[in-house]
Amino acid sequence: MTTNVKQPPLPQIELTVTSTSIHSNDHTATDTLTIIKALFIPIITRCHAGYFRITLSLCCQTLLWKTLKDPPENAHAYRRILGLFPSTAFLLLWSLSLLILTTLSILYILRCALFSNMVKTEYLNHIGVNYLFAPWISWLLLLQTAPFLTPKTIYYLLLWCLFVVPIFVLDVKIYGQWFTKGKRILSTVANPASQLSAVGNFVGAQAAAQMGWKESAMVLFTVGMVHYMVVFVTLYQRLSGNTCLPTMLTPVMFLFIAAPSMASLAWDSICGTFDFSSKMLFYLSFFMFLSLVTRPNLFKNSMKKFNVVWWAYSYPLTVLALASAEYAQATKSSFAQLLMLLLSALSVMVSIVLMVYTALNTNTILPPDDACDPTIMPSDDACDPTIATLDPIS
Amino acid sequence: MKMENRKDSPEVVPIRSVDCDQILGVKKQSGSSFQMTTTGPNGNDLGTSIDLPDQNTTQSVSISIPQSPLDAKRVLFKDNTEAVWKDSPARNLKLGVTGCEIDEMGSEKTPERQTLPVKNPRMDAMKDNRYNSFKTWSGRLERQLSVLRGKSFPRNDPEINPPQNIQGESLSADRYFDALEGPELETLRPSEEIMLPEDKKWPFLLRYPISSFGICLGVSSQAILWKNASTSWTHFIHISLKVNYILWCISILLFAVVASTYLLKVIFYFEAVRREYYHPIRVNFFFAPWIALLFLAIGVPEDVHANLPHWLWYVLMTPILCLELKIYGQWMSGGQRRLSKVANPSNHLSVVGNFVGALLGASMGLKEGPIFFFAVGLAHYTVLFVTLYQRLPTNETLPKELHPVFFLFVAAPSVASMAWAKINGSFDYGARLAYFIALFLYFSLAVRVNFFRGFKFSLAWWAYTFPMTGAAIATIRYSSEVPNIVTKVLSLALATTATVTVTGLLITTIIHAFVLRDLFPNDIGIAISGQKPKAQRKWYRRNTCGSTKDIMHRVSSGEKIVEVPVISPGLGVKPFSMQVL
Repeated sequence: MTTNVKQPPLPQIELTVTSTSIHSNDHTATDTLTIIKALFIPIITRCHAGYFRITLSLCCQTLLWKTLKDPPENAHAYRRILGLFPSTAFLLLWSLSLLILTTLSILYILRCALFSNMVKTEYLNHIGVNYLFAPWISWLLLLQTAPFLTPKTIYYLLLWCLFVVPIFVLDVKIYGQWFTKGKRILSTVANPASQLSAVGNFVGAQAAAQMGWKESAMVLFTVGMVHYMVVFVTLYQRLSGNTCLPTMLTPVMFLFIAAPSMASLAWDSICGTFDFSSKMLFYLSFFMFLSLVTRPNLFKNSMKKFNVVWWAYSYPLTVLALASAEYAQATKSSFAQLLMLLLSALSVMVSIVLMVYTALNTNTILPPDDACDPTIMPSDDACDPTIATLDPIS
Repeated sequence: MKMENRKDSPEVVPIRSVDCDQILGVKKQSGSSFQMTTTGPNGNDLGTSIDLPDQNTTQSVSISIPQSPLDAKRVLFKDNTEAVWKDSPARNLKLGVTGCEIDEMGSEKTPERQTLPVKNPRMDAMKDNRYNSFKTWSGRLERQLSVLRGKSFPRNDPEINPPQNIQGESLSADRYFDALEGPELETLRPSEEIMLPEDKKWPFLLRYPISSFGICLGVSSQAILWKNASTSWTHFIHISLKVNYILWCISILLFAVVASTYLLKVIFYFEAVRREYYHPIRVNFFFAPWIALLFLAIGVPEDVHANLPHWLWYVLMTPILCLELKIYGQWMSGGQRRLSKVANPSNHLSVVGNFVGALLGASMGLKEGPIFFFAVGLAHYTVLFVTLYQRLPTNETLPKELHPVFFLFVAAPSVASMAWAKINGSFDYGARLAYFIALFLYFSLAVRVNFFRGFKFSLAWWAYTFPMTGAAIATIRYSSEVPNIVTKVLSLALATTATVTVTGLLITTIIHAFVLRDLFPNDIGIAISGQKPKAQRKWYRRNTCGSTKDIMHRVSSGEKIVEVPVISPGLGVKPFSMQVL
């Protein structure tokens, strides 16, 4: 039996196109907005926390120039020579650092506001999470070098609180995860960038000690020191379950130099004198420096193409130079002064070279393809075979 | 050509044909050279050309097929192959190609040729060349020296080509773990093979390990002990300074002997030294000579030299600094030698050098240098201590049972405490902290002394005497700071124990050296092969052998290329071509 089903009439949609005259003002407004969006959105999407390496280096350099240009009264002859440094150069550098840091901070705030999922991805990545400390460290360093703010003023205190509270919150979160939370176990996530959290604590401690707040300084120093020791041992063991550092990120190994130097400076600020412990930490840092510079092959593969990771060379050298300046001040031997000169010269040279390189390669500093940025998502095949993990059951 | 089968050397596999299903293992003895061109797994030409003799000329042939342990064996030849060659080249070629016929030939021809003449000088020369791969510049130095001395060397021997990959090869840590076992990684695993003959006693220099410097460590630390005892125990026991003087002279003499012997080994057998350097446990003993020198400087009697010059300290610490940069850097970043895998108590030797240098520097009056080495030593000691205490499951070198190597745990804290006391001027809290850690570890091991029995004596045991002596010296220092009856008795007890142990060990060493003559056994640890023997004495059926008849046919018709299948690792059976000139 066939039934003839009468097909219902198909619904019809009527489209009426009305031409409306668009006001010229709205036109420019929407166009400008589009232009601004087209210009800034790509930058914001690519500007991850790793770019704060640039500001870290610049602010550290500023601190170095400030320290060197004001030698204390009983300084050695070499130190006084360095005091002839023109202060206008220091002011220029300070302004440059402030400018770049402000720009990057604004961009990162926009990134947090507009692309919070990207920031979350960074937070979940075991290497990227450490760079969340970098903005606060940069601001603290800049605060210490501010030419118009002395440590005893209320503004300094307020700004210090503003910058240290996030560091402390991140500490509690990240360090707590290491020993309590299930998935992110230290033996698997530890990598040389983890030392950056300890550096953050030490910088906060130094700034606090300069203000006169010795107890807070001790708190930050102790937290930083304890976790630094744990990370140090874990990194040296290179446990077989440990994920390796991608080849591109080998310059991050220079953080082995940064952490003990910064601890040495912090302890020096807390104690008032460059005593036995500060000296030992400085020597450890110097040994790490010797150990890394005698291994150029380790860094060969990462130096093929310019990358923002190259800035990771600069600030550990600067911190080492700062520590050597304090060391040379404490021990008046000529070897110490020579060491200070050499390390300072090296750090200044490296920073200048990096600045020139970055200025010349501004187009490659923000890579076109975000997906293959190793600091965000290090892939396993990017792993360097020389520091690859071994199958423990072999 | 006659392929000789030495019945007494187990690694020569008799050459049989495919039907008999055995591997064509060839062992070469130089002197007679049968050279075959082989294409190794890399595809590159390995050997040189074959010279087959005509009927009039005597030619020699040598094979070198180095790609696997089996490959590393060489073709074994009698030295008087010329006579055989002269008979019928074609027939001899056939011998070379298929195995069955060789044996037949051998048995048919001259059964007495199975046994080689013993006193044949040519044989001696051939035998020496088995160690060539371990000699410096593959024996060329020796040849040059012999030529200089005027000794006639058989000139018509072809240049012995050492296997290329042995000379430049850097054995990975994994290779040592795979091939060796035991608390000192001394014993070969049953599945492994070594590159040198197992049954023969190797040349003395090849058997001389770097752990012999442990004797210097033990004796020179005794000199320091009795120097400290004579200065600190003046109120209750009088010990003359002569004891220190005598012990110090003995130590100097011993060090000179050991060092010059090892220097000879470096000159003549550099390859063996290199392999010791890559051994995960022996590498730590490379610190031992410098630590021994530091002990000698610390223990120097007052009347020999009251104040040592500062440059001496810098000279002694430079090699330690260089070695440290290399080894600690490897822990941090160097490939497969990760600490979680290679950590073992012998690593303490690489750390204790820092503390000994700090102690010497501080007693010389230097300020900054000792602190530098103390800081570096402390940081790396912490890492090592934690790693060893963890006994990680991925760790392959920890001895499963207690072994004298565990006494090295006591060394670092006791020397660190003395160094800190010297740097600071008094035995303060830091020094006491380190000292009590050392004491705790010492007692913790001493109550387990029953578990230290049952180990075969080896030279490395000497390195374990200096921790006991170090603990005794630290106790003497502590008792002079905190003088009461307990500390005095403790210092006396520990000093006596240390001395008794050293004396006992000295007697055992002398017995083993001169009576039992097994103080220096064949050093298996450095003779492991570069690759695992994949063949593993399995039999392979090869269809290529089916074509040997064709090959023979081609050869007998005057063709130049002969193909003989050979085992090479990873590829199973692989034919290689012999170029007949």
